[in-house]
Amino acid sequence: MTRLASFWHKAGPVLCILLVLIAVWYGAAVALNAAWAKDKAARAGTELTFSELVSDTMSQEKPLLPAPHQVAQEIYKTTVLKKITSKRSLIWHGWITLSATLLGFVFGTALGVLLAVGIVHSRAMDMSVMPWVITSQTIPILAVAPMVIVVLNAVGVSGLLPKAIISMYLSFFPVVVGMVKGLRAPDHMQLDQMRTWNASNNTTFWKLRLPSSMPYFFASLKIAIAASLVGAIVGELPTGAVAGLGARLLAGSYYGQTIQIWSALICAAVLAAALVALIGVIERATLKRMGMQQ
Amino acid sequence: MIWILFVLIFWGAMWAVNVRLAAGPQTQLTKILVPTLFGITLLVLWEGLVRGFSISPILLPPPSMIAQRFATSLPILWEDFVQTFIKGALSGYFIGCSAAFLTAIAVDRSDFLKRGLLPIGNFVAALPIIGMAPILVMWFGFDWQSKAAVVVIMVFFPMLVNTVAGLNAKDKFQDDLMKTYAASYWQNLLKLKLPAAMPFIFNGLKICTTLALIGAIVAEFFGSPIRGMGFRISTEVGRLSLDMVWAEITVAALAGSAFYGTMALIEKAVTFWHPSQRN
Amino acid sequence: MKNLIKGAIASAFLFGASAAQAADDVTLQLKWVTQAQFAGYYVALDKGFYEEEGLNVTIKPGGPDIAPAQVIAGGGADVVLDWMPSALASREKGLDLVNIAQPFKSSGMMLTCRKDAGVETPADFADKTLGVWFFGNEYPFLSWMNKLGLKTDGSDGGVTVLKQGFNVDPILQGQAACVSTMTYNEYWQIIDAGLTPEELVVFKYEDEGVSTLEDGMYVLGENLKDEAFKDKMVRFVRASMKGWKYAEENPDEAADIVLDNDASGAQTEKHQRRMMSEVAKLTAGSNGALDVADYERTVQSLLEGGSDPVITKAPEGAWTHEITDAALN
Repeated sequence: MTRLASFWHKAGPVLCILLVLIAVWYGAAVALNAAWAKDKAARAGTELTFSELVSDTMSQEKPLLPAPHQVAQEIYKTTVLKKITSKRSLIWHGWITLSATLLGFVFGTALGVLLAVGIVHSRAMDMSVMPWVITSQTIPILAVAPMVIVVLNAVGVSGLLPKAIISMYLSFFPVVVGMVKGLRAPDHMQLDQMRTWNASNNTTFWKLRLPSSMPYFFASLKIAIAASLVGAIVGELPTGAVAGLGARLLAGSYYGQTIQIWSALICAAVLAAALVALIGVIERATLKRMGMQQ
Repeated sequence: MIWILFVLIFWGAMWAVNVRLAAGPQTQLTKILVPTLFGITLLVLWEGLVRGFSISPILLPPPSMIAQRFATSLPILWEDFVQTFIKGALSGYFIGCSAAFLTAIAVDRSDFLKRGLLPIGNFVAALPIIGMAPILVMWFGFDWQSKAAVVVIMVFFPMLVNTVAGLNAKDKFQDDLMKTYAASYWQNLLKLKLPAAMPFIFNGLKICTTLALIGAIVAEFFGSPIRGMGFRISTEVGRLSLDMVWAEITVAALAGSAFYGTMALIEKAVTFWHPSQRN
Repeated sequence: MKNLIKGAIASAFLFGASAAQAADDVTLQLKWVTQAQFAGYYVALDKGFYEEEGLNVTIKPGGPDIAPAQVIAGGGADVVLDWMPSALASREKGLDLVNIAQPFKSSGMMLTCRKDAGVETPADFADKTLGVWFFGNEYPFLSWMNKLGLKTDGSDGGVTVLKQGFNVDPILQGQAACVSTMTYNEYWQIIDAGLTPEELVVFKYEDEGVSTLEDGMYVLGENLKDEAFKDKMVRFVRASMKGWKYAEENPDEAADIVLDNDASGAQTEKHQRRMMSEVAKLTAGSNGALDVADYERTVQSLLEGGSDPVITKAPEGAWTHEITDAALN
């Protein structure tokens, strides 16, 4: 009984707001698609009753905003009803995107942590590298992505790696920013304490700086993995829209298949949410063990 | 070969200078000089490698060529800058960040909203914006309004998540202390929660500066009038004028860095008490 | 990971096998995503025409951010498909692209307008908003507008140009009076969306006398000095043209082959079959060899750019009949 109660305590509000959102979505679908339905009716020389109008807005082939059930149907059709190996299966496309995302995320986290450690420990690096790390993120990645892929192709790298590199480019930044902040989070009292113990730089790092950076680290990782997914999707656009969720988005956009865009989008979001949740679980477990969670 | 050798020697020399400068006393001058020297090193490295390996300018133009193009097309660059940065990115950034800030305060106040909205907020934050862009262009038309809309959505959730995390950042002791003072909700918010949240809020604000610029540029790839940085980039790649593409990227980098720098300066003024600022 | 290893082993075997047969590798970069516009190449691949010629062909699909000229400059492809205006513009940028074959005889490009937006003739374009593709595809439009004497910078009496995305939304939503379409693709997307042909006016570039050559095969000039490469291209062009002629005769089968090769899984059978039958009209009448008169017309229209011509001087050595002469005998 108490378990059920705690479930509702957690899920109740989410479900409530979800229901409101779906209602808003349906309302918006009617509002946005009505213009086209009326336009069509006017050209056909007929008048639409309200119920005809509503049912038309729910069942257009290329609506401005597809109704939730249309998207759900499309997702069901492309995940459950298709074989996983089929090129029309969203799971197959999702897997391709996921593999590039994870590879890029690992690269990005490693690069980010290394840079942060360097920045915290070396004055020269802090002063010279940090401003350029920030500048690097102001370069619009979509502009660079095709060039990255062409240039990497010229040196013989193709397939998963170029996409992962674009993911890395987007995901290392939040890690650097968060980690630098985290590694500097210990205040003077704590640092002085380490000094009175005559702790080496190394010990201070492992026993004080690193542990106290953990909350920042995990907060950054959550942003980084979402950024990494965006990077993988962006990277899929210029590889010729061959496969992956990005390719589905692009092909959907190209053919005006809004239902396909939304279903790919929802899949990407589910994927991202699952990844972020996974990091959240690791975060809770780690912080609990370290005694840092209140 | 000579180019590559020169580049390597130059790199080593510059790094040595930087280490010396950084080890010396901190003045306003060294603070600017060190990153500048590092930047110059990167540019020389780039120029030298492009020349040394004789890479075609269609793949990667050398910085000297980009600088030349930059200098000769200032009016176009300015027009694009106004369209994309001032109209698209800035307006979206302000709307998105303030909306997220107010939502975060509302969410923090109501336990029901916090439990209901945050998981959904995290879910939507993960929506790859690149997919929203064509949809928003469909809804808001081709001009800068749709770009601002993309930026709003792009910055809203990172800002929201950061602010909510910040509002939870207060110590239990501090919270208890406020309770013993019988502080009202607003007093508690203004005197304890918001100041304690500032480092997180600025973290969000800073991350959002770069997101805003990227969002505005990327959205232009899905349809735009015939000006704007994203438009210029995508068109000029097709025309193989890579020097123009990089000139636009330079503008983006300059604008983005200035934007970020402004936020960092404000942060310094507001959160002077935080350990990360005192160093 | 397992798949990766499997793939590596498989490719190692394939490499060994192809080395044994000494099949020559050819990489072809398409101008756009996998669709019936490129049916000839997919048919040649699927039906083994390339194999018969001892070629191991890889077809790379393109997309909105892929400039075929950039890919070939980076060494990512041996042959690229491009439109002549953008290929000639690339030549002026110093990239030595040479047309070796021209399977598309006619242009499929047109401007499709809504009658209710008040467009009946080209004279009505003034003060209207027109959707145009950029990324190297804007040249035919610009030279046409120049011929009509309409300014494209948005000033009074000129036209307002809108960079069209990858779909026909602007005309459906009334944001533009006209959008760029291809006879074989976007036009049908408008029809599918619910507008009828009676509600539309189309201006074919072909009929307006401003057509330029589309999908041609281009290679780097320096490669053509190599006899082995030339021989490879002769076989490639021969097999590709065989593929095109087969596709023209069996449009439905060709469309199905394209669908099988579409990794994004986004294409529909109805659309591809229709596209194939429209594309067949454009490739009809070309045996693969470039018609010099068509070439001259394209160059002429590109040179007449007024203050801002697409190309500034007539190109030299931008095409060769060497390959097609050898291939088609």
